[in-house]
This record gives sequence, C-alpha cells and structure tokens, in this order.
Amino acid sequence: MARSGPLYTLGAVAALAAILLTVDLRISSAPSNAASPATTASPVGTASPVGTPSPSTSPAQVASAPQHALFAGRSSGDEFTVAIAINGRKAAADLNAGLPSQASLTGSVSGGQVKLTGGNGVGLTGAVSAAAVFGTITAFGRAFPFSAEPAVVQAVYAGRSSGNEVTLAVDTEGNKAVAYVCNGKNIEAWLQGSVSGNQVTLTGKKGATLTGTLSGLDLFGTVTPRTGQTFPFAAALSPHPAGVYQARIEVNGLATRIGWAVLPDGTQIGVAVEGTAELPAPPLDLSDNGFSIDGASFTAAPVAGQDVVVSP
Amino acid sequence: MTSEHTTASPARDQFATPIVVSLLAGCAVAILLGVYGKLHHPTGFSIDIAGFSSPLYAKAWLTTAALVFAAIQLATAYRMYRPGAAAWLAGLHRWSGRIAIVLTVPVIIHCIYALGFQSYSLRVLVHSVLGCLFYGAFVAKMLSLGLANRSTMPRWLMPVLGGAVLLSLIGLWATSALWLFTTKGLHS
Repeated sequence: MARSGPLYTLGAVAALAAILLTVDLRISSAPSNAASPATTASPVGTASPVGTPSPSTSPAQVASAPQHALFAGRSSGDEFTVAIAINGRKAAADLNAGLPSQASLTGSVSGGQVKLTGGNGVGLTGAVSAAAVFGTITAFGRAFPFSAEPAVVQAVYAGRSSGNEVTLAVDTEGNKAVAYVCNGKNIEAWLQGSVSGNQVTLTGKKGATLTGTLSGLDLFGTVTPRTGQTFPFAAALSPHPAGVYQARIEVNGLATRIGWAVLPDGTQIGVAVEGTAELPAPPLDLSDNGFSIDGASFTAAPVAGQDVVVSP
Repeated sequence: MTSEHTTASPARDQFATPIVVSLLAGCAVAILLGVYGKLHHPTGFSIDIAGFSSPLYAKAWLTTAALVFAAIQLATAYRMYRPGAAAWLAGLHRWSGRIAIVLTVPVIIHCIYALGFQSYSLRVLVHSVLGCLFYGAFVAKMLSLGLANRSTMPRWLMPVLGGAVLLSLIGLWATSALWLFTTKGLHS
C-alpha cells in the first residue's frame, strides 16, 4: 500500500538541499573557523603548535628582526621547555624548568650552529635548520638533549595613515597576516596575505592592497583600501587591546559584517557593512568584546593572522 | 483476527507503526535543523540567486512565491477528497506542493548556513523555530503519505500535518518577507 511518490519528493528536496549546502561549504570552506565569537577569547589566544612557547619571549623580539625565526620545544626528558629566537646572526633563548628556574641565554648563529650561554654555567648548543633546532642544553652540570620546532607567533601592528585618513590594524601570525583598514565612516577593507622576510603583502576585494616593511618594532608601507585611494601608513607593534576585531551578525534582517581596528590605547575605528550600506560601527567593549545594536547584545571576535577574512 | 472482539485493535496497528515512524522522523528533522543552525557558525554569506536586487530580497520573493503555491495547496487539499473530484485536482495539489517546497530550499540553506538559528528578537526566534517546524512537518507528511496505508490512516492526519506545514510557512513568511517588505520596501 506504500506509495513511492511522496518519498521521491522528499528525496528530491533532500538532494537539492544537499547540493546547495555542498556548494556553500565549497565556496567558504575556511571562513567558518575564521571568526567564532564563542570560542576565541583573546587576541593572543592562538598559541604555537608546540604548545609551550616561553611567555617571556615577546613577539617584539621576533617580529623586529628582518630575518627572524622562533623555535619552541622541550628537552627529551621534559625537564625544560625552550624557546629560541634567531635574529640574523644573533640568537637568544629562554629556558624554563618550572617557575623558580628560568634562564635567559644569548649567543650567536654561525654556519647553521647556534651557541648560547647564560648565567650559572647554563648553555645551549644546537643545529639550526628551517624545520627545527636539535641540540643539547647544559645545566646543573648535566646535558639534556632537546628539539624545537618553528613556533607561530602572533603580533599586532596598529597605526594610521600619514594624513590620518584611515586607521589600520595588521595581525601577523607566522607567515600569514590579515589587516583591517577603515575610516570609521565609509571606507573599509579587509585584507589577507603573507609575511615573507620583512615584507608584508596583503590583498582584498575591490582592488584593496597593503604592502609594508617590518622595520624594528614598526611596520611602514602603503595601503589602498579601494582602487584609487592610496595612503602611506605607519603602524607600531602594539599590545592588547590593539588588534583586528570582527563580527558577522544579522541586523534588520540584513547580513552585517562589522570590523574594528583597535589601537593600543583603546581607540577604535570601525565600519559596519549592513547589506551594502556602510555605517559607523557601534562602540566595542574591549573588556569582553561585546557591543550592542538596537538594544541587542553581540560579541565580536579578535581576528588572528591565520584566519580567513577575505572569502576566496 | 480470529475472534470477533479483537478485530478493532490489530486493525489500528497496521497504520500505527508507519505513522509513528513518520512523526518521529519529522521531529528528528526539526531538531536536527535547529541544532545545526545553532552550532554552525554563521558565515554571513551563501550562494546568491541571480535576478534579485540582493540575496535578502531573493529569499523574500522566493518565500512569497512559495506562499502563493501553498495557497493552491489549501484550495485543492479538501476538494480533491470530495466524491467525484476531478483527477487533475490531485495532480495540481501534488505539483503545487512540489514547486512550493523546492522554492523554499535555497532559502532555508541560506538561512541556516549564513545566519543560523538566532534568538535575539521575538521575530527572529519565532522565525527560527517555525523554520525547523516547517521542514519537520513536511518530512512527517511525506513519510506518512509514502509509508502508511492511505485508506486506513486516521482522517485527521493529513489535515493536521498539511495544516502544520501551511501555518508554519505563513508564519515564516510573515516574520521574514512581510516584515522586510513593510519595513524596507519591495526591493533594495
């Protein structure tokens, strides 16, 4: 007595839905993890893949180097965690064997060999390649073999264009970077790209580009939020709350994307793109990344350099 | 079957199982849609449908078109069960329903993929809940029609399921397309 017609209808609807969903997933395979207000808590929440970068190795030490690399790892018996920063021919390392026993080492790199010394007879020697550092830590009169892998460090550069036309924040993470540029009214651009050596090259939609050079603790360059508008800018390595913040919400039924470029003093410039209209962004509460529109509360997410902010 | 006084209950069991299965499947679909819409992080965008002033208006007009076909559903639903009803009434009912549901599919995919299950205002909460109910009721109705014996199924079943589909669609349209047209105009 069963009929197949309704089942075919059901199957066709399910198939159509599956096709559309698959297409959506294809065109946006990455953005779904780009910004998740619920899970991302802090702009420096993205840790190194090794898991234990020394907290005392600040992004400044690394990002300031024209040719830089940071490695993080641990000794084979897990006695130490080690973070090694290489800056041209100079190198530094932090050893950590629990809170009371921390040591900072300095030294040099020569011919792929790193040699560092610190107080109390603590030393480190190792072989450096692009993929890893292997070697031995000498401490307490003993030798501890260790390995360290390239660590991904997040750093925020925030600043303004020379004529104060636009404010921008650039977040670098390893060799990836994102930026948000806007004037708080009607100019805004999301940019995405890479860091190669000391060169930062980002691109966005509608002809948006940003090229910059990392120099010391600063990033200098030019930014083009959209075709025909190019501004020279200077941005400085900046601590929290500086950074790029984003929210994707629905306002008045319109898909709305809000971006904020936040400077280290808490100054925030943002634009909300509601449908196709650009409006000033609502103020962002930097203590909890919350903001409200028409009485409704939302949460923005800090954006990290490896996030996808420009849909392919 | 063998004795007179037991015939009533076994006869009911013949349609009870497929209908219970259908209703539970409908409930499962509604819950799954809601859970996915809540868990999936809204992307804010989805594939566009060409020919409209914006994706939002594409959704609004597709829903409106679906509502027009749903009106045909209502008009044909009870007439086709009348004695001596023309055969084409049933065909019209089936095809208007198929077209209506197909029109809603791009809309719901955009809704749950780009926007998700939201509750930040009463309108949005009602819309989100009705969206889940709509597809749950649709699945329950199609499965009941496909799996159960139509001549012995309870007479209230199709009116209730069909009514649930129709009413939830009207509610969906009122909380989205009607709201959009009255607050923002007929096109962007």
